[in-house]
Amino acid sequence: MSEVELVLVNDTDKCTIYTIQFSEESETEYERFYTKFIEDAQLNKDLLRIVQILDKIADEGALERFFRPEGKIRDSVVALPVLRSKLRLYCLRLSDRILVLGNGGVKNSRTYEEDDSLRGYVMTLQKFEELLKEGQRDGTVTVTSKTIKTDKTFKL
Amino acid sequence: MKDIRNKYREMVSQVPPEIKEEVDLSFAISNKIDALMQERGLSKKQFADQIGKRPSEITRWLSGQHNFTVSTLAMLSAFFGKSIISV
Repeated sequence: MSEVELVLVNDTDKCTIYTIQFSEESETEYERFYTKFIEDAQLNKDLLRIVQILDKIADEGALERFFRPEGKIRDSVVALPVLRSKLRLYCLRLSDRILVLGNGGVKNSRTYEEDDSLRGYVMTLQKFEELLKEGQRDGTVTVTSKTIKTDKTFKL
Repeated sequence: MKDIRNKYREMVSQVPPEIKEEVDLSFAISNKIDALMQERGLSKKQFADQIGKRPSEITRWLSGQHNFTVSTLAMLSAFFGKSIISV
């Protein structure tokens, strides 16, 4: 079982963006995604396009139309970008105003479920969403219209 | 709560101007189409039917990540009777 904490990435009038960090890692999941591809000659541009798309989303809000639905119908897992790249960043779109960034990778299979790494990233977010809901029920997590308030370390 | 806002800003500062412009323009066009659809009270399906496209095509246009061709922009301007972009 790993310990995970919520980390603030950016907040604007329209949207608050978070990511998560495993206690055994020195970087958050979003930083690990960035570090993995920033020196990759083939994927560097696709990565930087995602970085810029996220910055636009921070300004516009995490509207459903900006994301590719992933995961299952009952969860909030989505992916970026919608078009033009095999690189995927997985996120939890909890509302138009709250987004949690996960990790990602290159999707060479038809579905994320056929790739162990991608399935792992999606499952992490699915489990984290469940833990957030549990925290809301027991009062250790408060979700307002635009923020998640918690000091909790989650056991994933 | 831990905060990586400075690191995030550093990442954004690495984006080359041409990618920034491309993404900004794609979002601006998709926001314009979304606003015009709302103005006309058109759902994605109704809009797709009226212009002879599939709803999945409209989904792509509204994603803020579509690379629009001049002919698509011209068709949309003609349909809405308004410019989608100005040069």
